[in-house]
Amino acid sequence: MPPDDELALLRRVAAKDRKAFEALYHLYYRRLFGYLLKITRRAELVEEVLNDVMLAIWKGAASFDGRSRPSTWIFGIAYHKALKALSRQPAERGDEPDGPEPVDSEEPESLAARRELATVLGRALGSLPPDQRAVVELTYYYGLAYQEISEIVGCPVNTVKTRMFHARRRLKELLPGLGVSSHTG
Amino acid sequence: MREREDRGERLHERISGLLPWYVNGTLSQQERERVEAHLAGCRRCQEEERACRQTAGAVQSAGEVAPTPHPVQFQRVLARIDEAEREEGTARRGGLSLAAPFRALIEATPLPLRGALVAQAAVILLLVGVLAWSELHSGPEAAQAPAVYHTLSNPAPPPPLTPALRLRVMFSPKTTEREIRELLLDVRGEITNGPSPLGVYTVEVPAGRDSPRVVLARLRSEPQVMLAEPAAGEGFQ
Repeated sequence: MPPDDELALLRRVAAKDRKAFEALYHLYYRRLFGYLLKITRRAELVEEVLNDVMLAIWKGAASFDGRSRPSTWIFGIAYHKALKALSRQPAERGDEPDGPEPVDSEEPESLAARRELATVLGRALGSLPPDQRAVVELTYYYGLAYQEISEIVGCPVNTVKTRMFHARRRLKELLPGLGVSSHTG
Repeated sequence: MREREDRGERLHERISGLLPWYVNGTLSQQERERVEAHLAGCRRCQEEERACRQTAGAVQSAGEVAPTPHPVQFQRVLARIDEAEREEGTARRGGLSLAAPFRALIEATPLPLRGALVAQAAVILLLVGVLAWSELHSGPEAAQAPAVYHTLSNPAPPPPLTPALRLRVMFSPKTTEREIRELLLDVRGEITNGPSPLGVYTVEVPAGRDSPRVVLARLRSEPQVMLAEPAAGEGFQ
């Protein structure tokens, strides 16, 4: 849906139109679910946080000033609700996957290597603090510019770059071979 | 010489910091050109760029888990909205109905009489308190709960601590007993009457966990449920 249509929907939500709210809910449910799961890595939290986000949208739609895209505003709410929910939790569980995914012996070696790297990197990402992981996901999965990420997380662009810097350094520590060309060893 | 090296290092750090967004293709044209010019002669940045691309590939290949919402999920959000709006309404009305008229009355009273008015109000409150106290402590028979009689042939459960929601529910003819049991277990419902000649059961659900709206939505979302509605006299939708 084009941002203008989403804006119109949000305006109707601001006027307490429940039909529009339901349409917005269905429009964003899957996106928000995936996004919250990526940030929290806690499946049991996602549904509750998602409801918090939708309630905040209902209450705050009138305060949306239209200076950013509706999705930026909504993802910003989701980011803060996710971090708040995580802060209320006891110590973060180790969210390491059970083990490497089985590799199909028929697949080419390079593909198998890429899958293995993806699995190992996925684990390493899980060990990042949520605010750094959010920047990594927003950059690489959602393909957002650092300026838009700074709006979502509510921080200056330099903070976004700093978080990414720390995330990259941490990933390098965990995976020393990251970035090393296979031709050079 | 040293100054030039420092400048070069600062430029390297600035460019290196942009690499993730060079990789995801969101830099401005000017930034992109600066990155490419530096990248051509910097082995460290070339390695960093490869690391960024590998990370991007891993993040993207992780995909997304995004189920379709169950109808009951949206009903839960609506129930929370209703609850929040009820609380806001109560807070607003409470403030107006109790404090405001009393304050207005005091302000409308001439200054010399205000003390007398407040004292009179205090005496009334005291009397109300004494009456309530004596009502509560006027003997064991007064405080006794109304007797509940059970017949031996049809032992009724003790009255619930919280009022239960009473619903009329009709299942499709092919629904098995086990499916009915599982459906009711899901909403913690219990059949208290029925089936009627039309096949309608009366189901009681203890209040508290989910709002009536959510319970009804949950039941109505099941294909085996042909009818789910509040029993006569229950004032909810």
